[in-house]
Order: sequence, then C-alpha cells, then structure tokens
Amino acid sequence: MILLAIILIAAASLALIAVSRTNRQMNTVCIAEAALFLSIAVWLLLSGQVPISSFVIGSQYFFIDHLGLFEVLISAIIFLLAAIYARGYVEGLIETHELGKGSLKLFYGAWAFLLTVILLAFFSDNLALFWIFAELTTIVSAMLVAILYARDNIDAAIKYIFIASVSMLFSFVGLVFLFEISRSVSGEGTLNWTVLVQQAHLFPTGMMIAAFALVFIGFAAKSGIFPFHTWLPEAHARAPSAVSAILSGVLLNVGIYGIIRVFAIVHQTPAVTTLSPLLLVFGLLTVGIAALSMLPQKNLKKLIAFSSVENMGILLIGLAIATPLAIFWVLFHIMAHAFTKASLFFSAGILHRQYHSTLSADAVDDIRDVFRLQPLAAWGVILGGLAIIGMPLFPIFFSKLFILMQLGAVSLPALIILLFLLFITAVSLGYYVISTFTQVSRPETRDDIVAYDTPLGMKVPVIILLILMVFLGTVFTTGEITFLDRIVAELMF
Amino acid sequence: MIDPAFIQDVIRVLFAVVIVTAAYIISTRNMISLVSVYALQSLTLVFMALALYSLEGTTVLLAIACITFASKVLVIPYFIATIQERIRIKRDIEFHFLSPTTSLLLSMALMLFIYIALAHIMEGTPGRESLFFFGAVIGISLMLMGMMVTFSRKRAITKVLGYLTMENGVLLFGMFVTKLPFIIEFLIIIDLIILVMLTTILTVGLDSTLEDYHNRLHRFHLVEDTEEGP
Repeated sequence: MILLAIILIAAASLALIAVSRTNRQMNTVCIAEAALFLSIAVWLLLSGQVPISSFVIGSQYFFIDHLGLFEVLISAIIFLLAAIYARGYVEGLIETHELGKGSLKLFYGAWAFLLTVILLAFFSDNLALFWIFAELTTIVSAMLVAILYARDNIDAAIKYIFIASVSMLFSFVGLVFLFEISRSVSGEGTLNWTVLVQQAHLFPTGMMIAAFALVFIGFAAKSGIFPFHTWLPEAHARAPSAVSAILSGVLLNVGIYGIIRVFAIVHQTPAVTTLSPLLLVFGLLTVGIAALSMLPQKNLKKLIAFSSVENMGILLIGLAIATPLAIFWVLFHIMAHAFTKASLFFSAGILHRQYHSTLSADAVDDIRDVFRLQPLAAWGVILGGLAIIGMPLFPIFFSKLFILMQLGAVSLPALIILLFLLFITAVSLGYYVISTFTQVSRPETRDDIVAYDTPLGMKVPVIILLILMVFLGTVFTTGEITFLDRIVAELMF
Repeated sequence: MIDPAFIQDVIRVLFAVVIVTAAYIISTRNMISLVSVYALQSLTLVFMALALYSLEGTTVLLAIACITFASKVLVIPYFIATIQERIRIKRDIEFHFLSPTTSLLLSMALMLFIYIALAHIMEGTPGRESLFFFGAVIGISLMLMGMMVTFSRKRAITKVLGYLTMENGVLLFGMFVTKLPFIIEFLIIIDLIILVMLTTILTVGLDSTLEDYHNRLHRFHLVEDTEEGP
C-alpha cells in the first residue's frame, strides 16, 4: 500500500516534469512531491502504527520502523525547503548561463528521482536492497553535481562516483558474507535486518568482524569518513547550493544509517569489543583530518563541506561508545547536523549568487560589504556557524556535550584529543567569518557591486531552518524524547 | 549426466581464463581490445554459472547466466564501444602511481594475501571446500585487480572498465560463496547499467571542450535543444 503510494507519487512527478516546459512548473512539481512524501511521513508518525510490518507496505523486502521514519522525516523536510530554495537559485543559474535551459528536465528529473530512491532506501528491510538504493543515490546525486556548465563539476562528479561506488562494492561483499553467516546459522539465508538482528547472538565472531569491516568501507565512503572522504569537499563545494544542502543534509545520512544498521547487528555479538575501538579511531581520524583541512580554508563552501566531514566523525565516535544514551544523542546529532548544514549551504548559496564572478570552488572568497548587500545570508552563516560549533541555544550544543561526556567515561585521552580538534574547527570557522565578513570596499568603489536581489523563496528556507534550529535547541518535547528512545530500543542497544 | 569431476576441471580452466583477462585489462594500453576482453571475461562468468548450474541445479544460477549474458556480454560492451568510437580514444597511456608491470606483480601478491586471509576467516565453516573456496579467492582478487585499474588509470572510460571488472569479481564471489535471491542480482545489473551510462557520458564531457560536449549530448539526444546556446 505505502510502497505503491510512494511509487505512484514518484511516477506522477517524473511524468509531470517530462511534460513541463519552464523552471517554475518543474520546480512546483518537485515541491509538491516533497510535500506529499512529508505528509505521508507525518501521517505515519501521527497514526502511531510504527513499526509497520512488511505486509501493510506491500513487499517482504520493506518495513518501516522508527529509525527509517526519522530519517525520512529529516530528508523530506530538507528536500521540501531545498526545492523552494531551488526555484530562485536555478533561475539565477540559467541567467548567468551556468546551467543550460535544456538541462532543466534532467536536473529536476534527477531531483525527483533522488528523493524517491532515498525514501525507498530508508524503508528497506533487506540490506542488499538498501545497498542498491544507496548506490543509486550516489549515481543520481552525481548527476546533479555534474549538471553545471563546468569541467570542474564533471571532474568532481566522476571522482565522487568512482570513490563511492568502488567502496560500495566492498560493502556488497560484506553483505554476501552476512548472508552466508545467516545461512550457516539458520539454514535459510536472509538479509532482512529485522531477522538478522534477532539471530545476531548466534553469529560467529570472526566472520562477523570481516563482514562489518567490508560493509563499513562502502558506507564510510558514502558518508565521507576518513580515508574515503576525499571526494566530499569537491563534490559539495562545486554542486549548486540547493544540491549541496541535500548532499550534506540527507545523503551523508544514508551512509551513516547503513553503518548504524549493521553496527546494531554487530552489537549483539562479541565482535563489538573488537570493532568499537576501530570505529573510535576512525572517528577521531576523521575529525582530525577535517579540523586540519578547515584551518587554512578560505572558501566558504569548502569550509562547510569539511565541517560535514567533522560531524560524521563525531557521529562515528558516538556510535563507538554504543551506550543507549550515546546512541540517543547520535540520532539527535544526525537531525541537528542535517538542518544546520542545510541552512549553512542555503546562506552560502545566496552569497554565491551575490559574488558569483569571484566565488569559484577553489578561489579565495572576495566577499565585501556583506552586511549591506546580503544581511540575511551573512547572519545565516554566522548563526549557522555558531550552531555547527555547538553553541548553546542550538541543538548541536546538547548532542556534542552528551557525546563528549559519554566519551569521557570510556576514554579520557580520546576526550582530550577530540576537545582539542573541536576547538580547532571552531577557530577556523570563527577566523573565516571575522576575516571575510569584515571586508568593506572603499567609498569610491562602493557602488560598483550591484546588490543581488535575493528572491523571497531563497530567504524563507534559511529563516525556517534557523527558527527550527532554535526550537530544537531550546525545547525538548516528550514526544521527541519518546520517539528517539523507541529508535534506541528497536536497535537493541 | 556429465561427470561432476569433469565439470570441476572445466571450472578450474575458467578460473584461469578469468585471471588472464584481468591481467590483460591491468596491463594493456589498447582501449579497443579492452572492451572485447571485458566481454570475454563476462562470457567466462556465464559459462561458469552454467557449469555450476549443472553441478548444483539451482535455477538462480541459470537466471544469473542469462542476465549476465544479456547485460555484460552484449549491452554494456556495445555501449562502451559505441562511445569510444565517437570520442576516438584509441590508447590510454597515462598511468597514475602504478606501471603495468608493478600492477601485475602487486596483483599476484594480493592473490596470495587473500588466499591466506580467507583461509583464516573461513576456518571451520562449511564453505571451505576446495572449489568454492578457490572461487571466493579468485572473486576477491578479480575485484582488487579491477580496483587497481580504477585508481591507476587517468581516463574515465578505463576507470569504468576497472569498475566493471570489480563487479565481475563480486559476482564471481557471490556465485561461489552463497546464493543470493535473484531480485538482488537483477537490481545490481540495473544499477551497473545506469552507472556505466552516466560515467561514459560524463567521459565524453571530460575528453572534449564544453561546447563540443553539449553538441555531442544533442547528438545522443540526452538534452533538449536550447533556445540560447552556452
């Protein structure tokens, strides 16, 4: 039923995009698609039927539990806001000939298809099916990166596809291992997560370590974990900003989601004692590499992209601690990071339109008079920056604080290293904002820069996200806490 | 009924063919023959699936043989060959990091390493019968050899062939180690075809100037005509 509804909505959206002629029409279709998916997710949330067995959904390979629903809610909200944002943004890209009018259909078609594939990925019970959808998200999102008229974009997209897809093949071998493990234990092999997590206590340790290590390679590459993160800054910085927000806010979650699912299985076996320290090390290395790359960074979008790498590292560290409380805050951090990062990329996109002549992916940002020309975007970057480094009033403050406290209970040296690295990232962001946003042009050249008339559709998503962030960072509803607790319980942590 | 021992010998010969094709893909500079060799490698996998089918009688293997033949022996090589003809690249002589000789030596070392590692991991599991174990080793080796091609070559089209070789390795591994449901195998092929199409089209972009690229896209009917050109 639900599956059928999703596929029907997707097919209708693609058909409508195929017959539309203008940016506005296609964009409206994408907004409507995201709104419909969001309303399905909200309806599921309110109906209280979750977890939903495969029977109701319409296939034995799918299911909906709280984690899947949680991810779908985040994705649908970001897609909806990004689609609203894209209307004005894409118009600007066409005016400056950065995007051909002929490519519009391809752009919006890929956009609508990407959202569908992401939804199906999060609703997959079967891990191999999830793998295929995750792999499809790579290909479709690479298409969205490559769509601009620039060789650099094609380069970045090819790098993204090859690093992610090659690593994902290792994941697949890991899943074959997992299938064989389940077959040797129960006679009937399966990759359905719900079954695997129940059988997990019977799984042999050695095989389980091998299976997890292989699966980890692929999903780590998808979520930009060191040493597979090299594609991320380029792809995120070169993509159109509306797409960057999706790449950072939604697609990185797909990788982390895969790691969480398989780690939940590992957590039921003795293999967890070997694998947890490994995750911790990779997490610290990821944060470390990101922090050191952020320090000399003079390009806003790259800076934000490296900050995503950093946050993925934090998630991995939280996962490695593996206490129910740590997992609770990992989930909260996923949500907080997604919204904060989307708002940052939206603001950066407005600055990109204002200063587009000089703001290429590698160039040093020549941002002047930013408070006079684009006050909202400037404040968006400042507030978003404060939010991402974990200042109070914003949600990341709580998730970082509790993950750090939990880490302190496990390993004090790791806590000290992490604190130091987080300090570096905060300094890098602060230094960037202070050094670039204070640049003022001389009075005689003041009128040379014409203010970019930011469409309302590009401002509204930034404002909504900022309000949402402050709300999440100050108010904790019982519904929210129960919901996250249910996820932790379903993951059997 | 054919003698199982004979079929096992056939499979061993096919293993050797797979390794030889992989070695060729690693070391050659001639791009045209690269595609043919890939098609040959896929054909070998088809025969292997058929041979395994006659041993075990699982219908999934028959289905795998069919879709592998249709997609990897016919459609994908044809598609890549067509693109190659259009962009007129005959030779790929640029190697990052690794020269062909080093790659070959490295892949031999890799195979040995995988043999030892897998023997260790699969210790005591029923999958550790000689032929199936050997299949797993060859599968993973093929995968790593493909990965070397992907990361040591500069041209995206050669990278694609490296990726395809990797995927063949995964198929081989899956075939010998366990039996995945057919739907999964089928969807992977779909995924592969989309990936190959996209990357080869992007390659066309990399190997030409941008205006030229968009003209070519028009020729392939991938984008609509624009009122105003770039």
